Amino acid sequence: MPVPRGRIRTCIHCALLALLLLSISSLAQEANPSDQETIPQLVQQIKQLLQQDHDLQERIKILEAKQPRASPMTETDAVSPPALPQDAEQTPLPQIPYAPPHDWHEIRGIQWRAFGEVDYKVLNQRQPELATYGFVPGSAGNFYTGDFGLFLTSRLTHKASVLSEIIFEEGDAQRYNVDPRRMLLKYDSNDHLKMSFGRYQTSIGYYNWAFRSAAWLQSTADRPLVMEYASNGGLLPTQAIGVSVTGAIPSGKLGLNYIAEYGSSDTVRPDLSGDGVQTDENNGNHVNLGFFLRPDAVLGLQIGASYYHDKISNFAQGASLRYGQSIVNGYVVYVTHGIEFLNEGFLIRDAALHFSDAIFNTPAFYSQFSKQIGHIRPFFRYQYVNASSNNSIYDDVGLRAGPSFGARYDLNDSIALKAQLDQTVRRREPDLNGLHLQLAFAF
Amino acid sequence: MRTKAMATLLLLGLAILPLAPRATAQTNDIAVVVSSGNPATNISLGELRKVFIGAKRAWPGGQPIKLIGRGPGCRERLALLKLLAMSETEYKQYWIAQVFRGEADAEPLTVPSAGMQKEALKVFPGAISLLNVGDVKPGMKVLKVDGLLPGAAGYSLH
Repeated sequence: MPVPRGRIRTCIHCALLALLLLSISSLAQEANPSDQETIPQLVQQIKQLLQQDHDLQERIKILEAKQPRASPMTETDAVSPPALPQDAEQTPLPQIPYAPPHDWHEIRGIQWRAFGEVDYKVLNQRQPELATYGFVPGSAGNFYTGDFGLFLTSRLTHKASVLSEIIFEEGDAQRYNVDPRRMLLKYDSNDHLKMSFGRYQTSIGYYNWAFRSAAWLQSTADRPLVMEYASNGGLLPTQAIGVSVTGAIPSGKLGLNYIAEYGSSDTVRPDLSGDGVQTDENNGNHVNLGFFLRPDAVLGLQIGASYYHDKISNFAQGASLRYGQSIVNGYVVYVTHGIEFLNEGFLIRDAALHFSDAIFNTPAFYSQFSKQIGHIRPFFRYQYVNASSNNSIYDDVGLRAGPSFGARYDLNDSIALKAQLDQTVRRREPDLNGLHLQLAFAF
Repeated sequence: MRTKAMATLLLLGLAILPLAPRATAQTNDIAVVVSSGNPATNISLGELRKVFIGAKRAWPGGQPIKLIGRGPGCRERLALLKLLAMSETEYKQYWIAQVFRGEADAEPLTVPSAGMQKEALKVFPGAISLLNVGDVKPGMKVLKVDGLLPGAAGYSLH
């Protein structure tokens, strides 16, 4: 029995309508899960946007107040914006209005940040050891505040600026020392020539450059011993006064950079044994040359090396006995995708220049691995320093090697809580085990 | 009869439309935009990374580079984090570290909208920013990335 044409058309229309509804429904179903995930993000984003909008409105008011009254931009201006100068010497660069970011504190052109830490350390040996940063030697365990730093910068011109890092460092019995750990007049001519004059941190190795003084920047609670500040018993001349030049070398995808430093790095380092004895190295003027590359092909990889040379004394043997000190450093670091893999090796060579032909080689290295998992960053580090017992400059150091492991927990963008366990094997002394807790913050 | 046929076709078209593959590949791309007066026309992905991590701080003519970014959660921000292989937390910590190192004056300027990005590109002649290609406005210059414009096959910023 033939079906009427009208009914066929009705059926087709119904089928198409059902198909249409099905398609729309499927689209809506596709959108639902992502909406659910997106809504909290959008709410957070709206809050941030409102805050940023408020900050920008304030900034616009400041900028408008600074600029002289000018005629409104015409259509011609919009169509033909001023071209960038090709030659900086022939054509003056356009003045860029300076607009500080909203989260910087600004006082008359000086921008500042600060960082600090509160520590608790306990060791299983009561013999005085590592009496630095306010840790009381010989105690079972105590609280201390480590470094509290004020970081100040001010831009003088679009190429020149001033930078200072003023550290309030806890010493014995809650006495604080003020240490301008960096105080620099910087002049960045271009990407290939960036100069700094003043007190700088020597660019021996990666750690000194990457983490500076702020414990908040570090994954671990403390620095590897070989990278510790000399004023806290570290082996390297970490500070100097002079000139530091760095920049990129045209090398395409290799990403080659250079560092050259010349300055006075007179160093006094306290004995690690906590006996209160200090070694004044009475350094001369040092030369430090280094290279590092960041290849485009491997994002996050940095490979570098440096050579440092100076002449030092050991007053325990008389100031006239001078040593030629050479420090060779090489490192491979990989920091990306939440992974931090740091590997640095050092060879410190002290060769007597007069009255003796003694040469002391002090090898050291550390390897550190950490991985960000949500707010937690577990880490593992192994470090090794081996100074000859006959080397009167580092006789307090001897052999120190061992692992550290723990975790950093980021409470928010400014506060981190760290817990670290250390084991240090020492020559002719019992192993040193310790627990280090730290609350580090930046603001 | 003719009306019914047209209605059928229209209904068929409406039914098929949502099922058709969505040709939005090019609108999902993220453009690299600079001020219209910037002489640059192309940038490699490696150079782009160097720019956005603050390792390259000036254009070839000497003009200081000014980084203009969008806030957390935006597509442009997600594309930037993907480019740099960082999480949001790592990105924030990285820039605080850069400032503490003395390698940067400040964190990149963050603006809340494409309109503000356009204004920032006018104010800062050396400005560079990532922008959803659908939000590119007149007065902005889109750079090629490794010789490709957004929407081209093989374009790397999404």
